[in-house]
Amino acid sequence: MTAVEADGGLRDTGEIRLTDLMHAELTKIRTLPATWIVLAVTLVANTALGFLAATDVVRVAGQGGPVAIAQLGTLLLAPVYAFIAVPVFAAGSEYGGGQLRVSLTAVPNRHRFFLAKLLASSGVAVLAAVPAVLPGHLVQHVAAPRGDSGVGSVISGFLALVMAYLLVGLVGFGFAVLAKTVVTPLAVLFILPVLVSPMLGGILPGVVRLLPHEATLSFLAMPTSPALALGGATGLAVVTAWAVVFVGTAWWVNARRDTSGS
Amino acid sequence: MMIEVSGLSKRYGAKVAVDNVSFTVRPGRVTGFLGPNGAGKSTTLRVLLGLDHPTGGTALIEGKRYRDLRHPLRKVGALLEGAGPVPERRAVDHLTWIAQSNRIPRRRVWEVLDLVGLSDAARQPVKKYSLGMGQRLGIAAALLGDPEILVLDEPVNGLDPDGIRWVRNFLRGYAASGRTVLLSSHLMAEMAGTADEAVVISRGRIVAHGSLDAITAGHPSLETAFFALTGDRAGW
Repeated sequence: MTAVEADGGLRDTGEIRLTDLMHAELTKIRTLPATWIVLAVTLVANTALGFLAATDVVRVAGQGGPVAIAQLGTLLLAPVYAFIAVPVFAAGSEYGGGQLRVSLTAVPNRHRFFLAKLLASSGVAVLAAVPAVLPGHLVQHVAAPRGDSGVGSVISGFLALVMAYLLVGLVGFGFAVLAKTVVTPLAVLFILPVLVSPMLGGILPGVVRLLPHEATLSFLAMPTSPALALGGATGLAVVTAWAVVFVGTAWWVNARRDTSGS
Repeated sequence: MMIEVSGLSKRYGAKVAVDNVSFTVRPGRVTGFLGPNGAGKSTTLRVLLGLDHPTGGTALIEGKRYRDLRHPLRKVGALLEGAGPVPERRAVDHLTWIAQSNRIPRRRVWEVLDLVGLSDAARQPVKKYSLGMGQRLGIAAALLGDPEILVLDEPVNGLDPDGIRWVRNFLRGYAASGRTVLLSSHLMAEMAGTADEAVVISRGRIVAHGSLDAITAGHPSLETAFFALTGDRAGW
């Protein structure tokens, strides 16, 4: 080590504001390589799916014959499960190497810490969803040979997608705080549409349609099946409730939990 | 700036980690915090810094709970066991977000990196660091706010002899400037060469607290005094 001495005191730069804490959280998100990888994967997947849906060059085998990708809501929404890694990592990466202790030493007021992280993660989710979703959405609806969508429906569909990405991301965010890991929320939220819905959709449709991804698909007017469909507004309300429950519980737990074991 | 721990207790379920612990740490001195593994040192430090909630008692810094400090990192710099950066993040980015969270100027990040000799490796992901480099990064983070109090848990872990000597001299100088240093370590010889006072904890209770001279009185070394106080044997 060098023997350079400290500079003899730092000037008081005033009260620590919520925006300072949000800047810190934004820096955490921005400087995590996984953030950029995930956004690239989401962009590529959305654009590819949008192209396939628009051109109908590929169809997927279904029980009643080949199904157009444009009709497969679960598949079209699949990139969201890559995208939610951004808020999931923002929350869950605090726990892997013990960063939470550094964070809470820097920001010991746990309510301010959580609020700053929540606001930063939500802001990033909304802003990042725009470039991640827009190209695929435009390809699917504007570049389609049929030109089947008006400008108004393209814009409202795009805004609904961004809202869906935000809300599912917030479910993952809260889940990651509760689970103290990035793996469990990503695995569970991925397994729900891939395994749980297909297995239980026919047996317990009343329950399955209330799961986060099914409610999201209903909100986006792409329900997996008529039996699992909710109204658009009901779908939005249900997935919003999931987000509120997960984030609210995570906030409560974060305020009370010891860091031992983090 | 004084640290006052009074009647502090902490239970994890049925396990008592810290039981009615009281001691003070005064400015202008290096105070060693000694105890065997599992004695309650790290738990006490976590409660002091608001990371774990006390079951009873108080741990105050200049009369306030840590979480009530206006500028926590300008008052207290801490290096704690099990507290580290995300391995994929670069060292400079790790220090940058910490600085932003406490309105510490960006230039200070490079000052502390220079101070601990990590300037050349600042743009490497932390996962490429050796144990000693990681420890130096932790010390740099503790020094970011140029704090009045340093709380360091095993700061020389993984450091080479030159690094150990640097930490010793730095802490001596820090305390000599009127600031407060609370230093936890297993290394008795190192502690004997660094600390002015010591708090000895064993099985969650304070068994000695005073000047190093008083604690080692009647013993040939701090190490033998430590084993006599804690009942531990040298060797298992």
